[in-house]
Amino acid sequence: MASLDASLAKPIAKEAPRRRALGVSGVFLPRLLAGLAIVLVWEASVRAFLPAYVAKPSTVLLAIPKTVVDAAFLAATADTLGAVAQGLGIAVVIGTLVGLVIGRSPTADRMLRHYVNGFYAVPMIVILPLLSLWFGYTSATRLATIVYAAIFSIVVNVSDGARAVPREYMEVARSFRAQRLRGLFEIVLPAATPYFLAGIRLAAGRALIGAVVAEFFTAIGGLGYFILFMSRTFRHDEAFVGVALLAAFGVGVDVFVAWCTRRFLPWYRRDERSA
Amino acid sequence: MDAIASPSVPDVKGASGAGVRIRVRGLAKRYGALEVFRSIDLDVGDCEILSIVGPSGCGKTTLLRCIDGLIPVDEGEIWVNGTRVTQPIAGMAMVFQHFGLFPWKTVYGNVAYGLKMAGASKAEIAERVPHFIAMVGLKGFENAYPYQISGGMQQRCGLARALAVEPSVLLMDEPFAAVDAQTREILQFELLRIWEQRPTTMLFVTHSIEEAVLMGDRVIVLKGRPSSIAETIVVDLPRPRTRETLREPRFAALREHVWSTLLSEARRAEFEVGGGL
Ligand SMILES: Nc1ncnc2c1ncn2[C@@H]1O[C@H](COP(=O)(O)OP(=O)(O)O)[C@@H](O)[C@H]1O
Ligand SMILES: [Mg+2]
Repeated sequence: MASLDASLAKPIAKEAPRRRALGVSGVFLPRLLAGLAIVLVWEASVRAFLPAYVAKPSTVLLAIPKTVVDAAFLAATADTLGAVAQGLGIAVVIGTLVGLVIGRSPTADRMLRHYVNGFYAVPMIVILPLLSLWFGYTSATRLATIVYAAIFSIVVNVSDGARAVPREYMEVARSFRAQRLRGLFEIVLPAATPYFLAGIRLAAGRALIGAVVAEFFTAIGGLGYFILFMSRTFRHDEAFVGVALLAAFGVGVDVFVAWCTRRFLPWYRRDERSA
Repeated sequence: MDAIASPSVPDVKGASGAGVRIRVRGLAKRYGALEVFRSIDLDVGDCEILSIVGPSGCGKTTLLRCIDGLIPVDEGEIWVNGTRVTQPIAGMAMVFQHFGLFPWKTVYGNVAYGLKMAGASKAEIAERVPHFIAMVGLKGFENAYPYQISGGMQQRCGLARALAVEPSVLLMDEPFAAVDAQTREILQFELLRIWEQRPTTMLFVTHSIEEAVLMGDRVIVLKGRPSSIAETIVVDLPRPRTRETLREPRFAALREHVWSTLLSEARRAEFEVGGGL
């Protein structure tokens, strides 16, 4: 019965593996070469022009084994990443709710839009002194900085996504008598998920910066403080292990979000999937 | 719901004695300065299919959205199953021109949507959804996402979603306008077959004259600016209607009649001649 237009169904997974295999080998080699080039230039210029305590790839590499088992380093890492996760969690929940409301309610949009954009534009570094006045030199200041750093990119992205929901979806929901709140969470939210994920990506980076900046300024410990302390005591190699970990976290978030997109949003951007 | 409707329920038994499912009186709709239609009167009987035909932009979609309770009207009243329509009501479901499927839901999830919103239990959903998926010929595609299936199959899914809530009134907004001609023909006869199995009252909007005649017990022609009902044509073709129907002289005569009604305004370019069949 359905045979005629069943045959028109697009092949679902046939060409995907080939394209992905191509994508991986096609991207991997240039990526590796670029990395090697950066490392070589760095190593060579430090050896040629700078004193021995300045970090260079070879010594950083040698410092990794002893740093990653160092209790202070591990505690600092757990401290910072824990705070980032907590702050991101708060920012995601509140930011998503506020973003949904701003995106779907013209009144809320008119009321809040300029404030959100204003706060989004203010660098966290100028907010930090205020936060440290309110919360003292404690981890609460760091948490507040992280939330502040992260929340507005979520609000801005989610509200853009909520505004961009095709009117037809809302009409279908209304036609089937969905309650307003269910429409918000069952139609607007999933339709805005791609924007939401883009927001998380930005927010995670900003949250990490927020955490490190707060640690630099308030000396409350954590990975940022570890890096600062090691630099000031001329242990640049150990400091760089911390820096590398931060960089890895940034890449990790990107990979994780891309994986989530593939895993949970198979319907989204199906033509342009590549790692 | 009855309590809301009771004060002035119109005579739901029409003059013919058959139950009137949809009653529209003096309907007018404006978008700002644009007057889309005026003084629309309709009575649609139980299990009747009323085709509405008219050129693009004459307000067919707007009329259906009014009847579904999605947008407010400027003048007039709409009654469906004895209830004054001011917002979407139970017992009525719409099939959308561009399918209106949610891309993040599978075929199963989309078909289940209406039932879920109607508060059906998990067990009920698990029982009914496969039934309606099979009815529209989508068995085996339960877990496909809309982007993975053809336009024709997407509209089958849209149809199953509407049928699944077992509405007594189905509103169809050019349901087959967005699929290719071959698929369109298949879907027309499948819809007729499904209707024979389970007759419902249907408002069938189309801009294809042949489709209007093939589907409808009556065809109303919308025209003018603002548009209004130019003529009502009774389609006295026997049911069940099949491919044979298309070859009957009476079918051709009715088609010509609707055609000439539409053509009395020189807008022939806007209509398809035999495009759908
Ligand atoms: N939401 C809207 N706001 C303003 N004008 C609209 C809106 N929807 C439709 N129209 C206009 O109303 C007229 C009728 O539209 P529509 O009902 O979609 O026609 P049809 O379905 O017959 O093609 C068109 O001129 C269209 O541009
Ligand atoms: Mg239309």
